[in-house]
Amino acid sequence: MKHMLARMFGLLLALTLIASGAMAADAVTVGAITPLSGKLSVYGEGFQKAMLLALDAVNAEGGINGVPMAIKYEDNTSTAQGSVSAIQKLISVHKLPVIFGPAASTNFLAICPIAQQNKTILIGAESAASDISKCGDYVFRVFPSDLLQGRGVAELAKELGYGEVALTYVNNDWGVGLAEVFKDAYTQAGGKIVDELAHAEGRADYRSELLRLKRAKTKAVVNLTYIKEAATMLKQAYEIGIDTQWLMGSASKSPKMVELAGQAAEGVIGTYPTFSQQTPQYQAYQTAWKQKYPDQKLPVFGEYNYDMVLLTANALRLAKDNSVQAIRAALIEAAIGFTGATGDKTFDANGDVGATYGRWTVKDGKIGDYK
Amino acid sequence: MYHLQFILNGLIAGSVYALFAVGLTMTYGIFRFINFAHGELIAWGAYGLLWFSGPLLGLPLIWAALPAIALTICIALAADKLVYAPLRHQDRITLLIASIGLSFFLRSLLQLVFGAELMTYGREAGRGWEIAGLYVTGVQAGMGITAVAFLAGLYLLLTRTLLGKALRAVSDNMELAGIMGLPMHRVNRTVWLLSALFAAVGGMLLGLDTSLDPFMGLANLVKAFAAVLLGGAGNVWGALLGGLFIGITENLSVAFIDPGYKDFVAFAVIIAMLLFRPQGIFALTRGEVR
Repeated sequence: MKHMLARMFGLLLALTLIASGAMAADAVTVGAITPLSGKLSVYGEGFQKAMLLALDAVNAEGGINGVPMAIKYEDNTSTAQGSVSAIQKLISVHKLPVIFGPAASTNFLAICPIAQQNKTILIGAESAASDISKCGDYVFRVFPSDLLQGRGVAELAKELGYGEVALTYVNNDWGVGLAEVFKDAYTQAGGKIVDELAHAEGRADYRSELLRLKRAKTKAVVNLTYIKEAATMLKQAYEIGIDTQWLMGSASKSPKMVELAGQAAEGVIGTYPTFSQQTPQYQAYQTAWKQKYPDQKLPVFGEYNYDMVLLTANALRLAKDNSVQAIRAALIEAAIGFTGATGDKTFDANGDVGATYGRWTVKDGKIGDYK
Repeated sequence: MYHLQFILNGLIAGSVYALFAVGLTMTYGIFRFINFAHGELIAWGAYGLLWFSGPLLGLPLIWAALPAIALTICIALAADKLVYAPLRHQDRITLLIASIGLSFFLRSLLQLVFGAELMTYGREAGRGWEIAGLYVTGVQAGMGITAVAFLAGLYLLLTRTLLGKALRAVSDNMELAGIMGLPMHRVNRTVWLLSALFAAVGGMLLGLDTSLDPFMGLANLVKAFAAVLLGGAGNVWGALLGGLFIGITENLSVAFIDPGYKDFVAFAVIIAMLLFRPQGIFALTRGEVR
């Protein structure tokens, strides 16, 4: 009985973790580790669609010097373990020189040493953790580092006149890292953090967490979290009568969040890495998306994935040969002055890109710029 | 007052865990294996409601609940007929692994039909009621009341009807009950029906309270499993109390530890129970537990 139940528990544990994958010949293939199942699949499907959209554009222009470009997707089941087995498969079985890394900084950080060690180029389109800058010279990202965003939220809080806040963040590498940057910047600017607490990802019930925030009685609460978590928290905060100004980051800026939270999302203010949506590059992305997926909203960070694929295609076209060294050199060269849907993608010495930060708010059920 | 609010939230969350745990422990009591696909019954119940209230029939929520429950029961009965019944005389581990396979199948099917995106029933958040400094929302009150009503119904069924007596007898000793001529097929069917019913109702309540995603079942299975162990596997009332206990402790824990580690409570309970009291805390009232 005891052993039986212990074994059952072991299996249950194994289940909550676990991985899978399949394609291509006569094509220039790059790998992609994408959360197609598991808790991040909410985002993963959108990333994949945006990448496929860019791939269509590349191949419509003759692919890579006449050879079609292909992406080999590996599902990482939204976990670090899944990401590790996915990258090992892409490197050792498929021997791909370029791999698009997974979403969620925890998963990205888990595999960046493997890419660095095997001299494989790893590019991230939505991994924000500041630690990624230290990964090494084979790791790049087209998404701005949190170092910038953490400071952005601190500035926002100070500018709006909040001298003290309560802080909550999602309990993973991304959330903790972002919270650290925010805390440093905010306290240095003279702000006071009354209470801070991490919250778990993907829970259905945050009432108890919210009660603690309510108890802090601050005029503003900084909540660094994702879409589902933000929506659940806002809704439940409204229900238990928390009247506070919510300050958020970019990861919860999504029409989906507003749809889920309804009127409870009204008045939230947040920061996000911004780029002009009036540029021809962004317009091209938007038009292409509407053509290919007419009924679907633009996905979160889809444009970064789109840029990542276009930039990589440029690098592959430019590379002198198929060696990783040549592609890496070409990537850096191709990025100089490359303007994609999300703006300038010139890499700095850490393989990071710069960004300007905008402010968003929810008004009448729509996300707009905060002025 | 601060702590009372945590206890109240815990009671409500716990009453829903109890709905799941009662079904899980009943299937364990009769068939002697933990049904890993139980979590998927929870999710299918919730998505069933979405389906029948939305695109399929456009019924109002309350009426859509009936076909959703029926759908969940059909899934459970079909699973029994196609997967579990042919394996009934195999090793218990075989049944367990079959249930894991089934849970993957049902979850993937859910993702295939509805997608991985989060969904809601489109209910707007409303201000809760404040009673003596304690906040309760309408949905929360509904959750508590529904859970109590269903659990009371179960109590009456088990203690006041012949079928309930048969159920308890089979759970005590399957062979002996068979020798005494109890209608085994009917008992089996009833257990699946009840566990699917409770899972579906709990799933819908959770969906109403928050949102739906294909993984909602797995997350709640862990809580239900902890509750089952706490109560002693196979013990219905133990599972009920276990569910309430898990709900209250995990919510109350937030006052003392970082809420990011709230799930720690359920896992700690599972590990401690397996190490020290695998027969459960409430097993004293029963003679023998296999």
